[in-house]
Amino acid sequence: MNPFGYPDEVWRLFTEAPRAGLLEGPGTRTGSAATPANRSRLQLSARVAGARVEDAKFQAYGCPTAIAVGAWLAERAIGRSLDELAAIGAAEIRQALEIPEERLHCALLGEDAIKSLCRSAPGRDG
Amino acid sequence: MIYLDYAATTPLDPAVFEAMLPYLKPDGMHGNPASDHAAGKRARQAVEMARHQVAALIGAQAGEIVWTSGATESDNLAIKGALEFYAGRGQHVVTSMTEHKAVLDTCRYLETRGARVTYLKPGADGRVAPEQVLEALTPATVLVSLMWVNNETGVIQDIAALAPRLRERGVLLHVDAAQAAGRVAIDLREVPVDLLSLSSHKVYGPKGMGALFVRKKPRARLAPQLHGGGHEQGMRSGTLPTHQIVGMGAAFRIAGERLAEEGAALGRLRERLWARIRELPQVFLNGEGAPRVPGILNVSFGGVEGESLRASLPDLAGSSGSACSSATGESSYVLRALGRDDDLANASLRFSLGRFTTEAEVDQAAEQVVTQVRRLRALAPA
Repeated sequence: MNPFGYPDEVWRLFTEAPRAGLLEGPGTRTGSAATPANRSRLQLSARVAGARVEDAKFQAYGCPTAIAVGAWLAERAIGRSLDELAAIGAAEIRQALEIPEERLHCALLGEDAIKSLCRSAPGRDG
Repeated sequence: MIYLDYAATTPLDPAVFEAMLPYLKPDGMHGNPASDHAAGKRARQAVEMARHQVAALIGAQAGEIVWTSGATESDNLAIKGALEFYAGRGQHVVTSMTEHKAVLDTCRYLETRGARVTYLKPGADGRVAPEQVLEALTPATVLVSLMWVNNETGVIQDIAALAPRLRERGVLLHVDAAQAAGRVAIDLREVPVDLLSLSSHKVYGPKGMGALFVRKKPRARLAPQLHGGGHEQGMRSGTLPTHQIVGMGAAFRIAGERLAEEGAALGRLRERLWARIRELPQVFLNGEGAPRVPGILNVSFGGVEGESLRASLPDLAGSSGSACSSATGESSYVLRALGRDDDLANASLRFSLGRFTTEAEVDQAAEQVVTQVRRLRALAPA
């Protein structure tokens, strides 16, 4: 039931929140972003093995669209290289989740978080 | 769907529905109450019976009840009508920042027409102290408009303490009692309110129906805002909707009969709901410390975002702190005036319980809220 009229994929990802959580430890990277005034916050974490992302999780505070963006990016990251992830932009996120114009900031939040993840240094042992 | 939005509107009581039915059928009860023939007379008798029933709930005389289309119209008629009629006295109104939009928007409109309005800020508990009102009075003050019960928080203003002090000073008092009628005991023989707005659909009556109490002794005067036939002692023209009026009368009669018993039952249900919700950390009761009507519980939830909170509860028909927040993204101006920050005001839920609310519904609602708040908090980054 989606009585509030969110796009179907946003609603699914918001209600199911697949891949919610935080990865820590050796070989993990984290990236985070926030909207002005901290109204939405998104954190992505990924474990990279070789050149590819082996596992990814997200944490988010914000509206359902912001949460859905985090879940989508975590799903999307698995199996991809950091270079591929760094190429994900707001337009792609928006299109995949059918995010309307007035929620563009949520797609931008996602773009900032994924770029932050790709720039981050991998975690060390211990 | 669990309906906990009785402060927004109530379902029609089945007995009200039955009372209205004869006046919707085309068999002789359809006359115009203003007509002299038998059908008109029958309708008029029904209208006058309802007038007595509405008056009885608030300790008024039947002749002091003016039918309107709802509390919004009553508020408009009271405030605009008084300022227009008493224009010679001045053009100053005192009200509060937490009034219903029907009062606030009317005041804003009057400001564009040259009136001056003082918007009092209530204390953190939502109450406006009578002294605050008295201090705001000027020689040009015509009217004070304060709601008896706040629609978002359920906080009860001390109208009984304020009214006599305004009477001494010759300032009219208008009270929006849309949320108060049928929920708190009102006796206008004891409390010298001059004008009082009433709504039918908050009391299990039909929508599109309301009334304005206009005191006869001493007489409060109003300039009519609707012209066309001089109905309702010249204060509100328009053919009377007999079936709606009969419904409002029946609803108010039932409300009077059940006031004490229903209040006690709702109070128990409300406390049951709060007891479960308050097990969560970082929850804040709005209007805490102030007397509140038993059916309303307004809670702000720390650590969750408001829109996600509401979206997480699709089976719960409650309301955000703000009636307008889902449309405009603005947080509740009422909760903001009480000192809640923007995030907390936005992450607020109003649960309003009513005649048909069950213990099972309250338990289910509490469970859903607790589960979803925990889920959203767990999703958030540290």
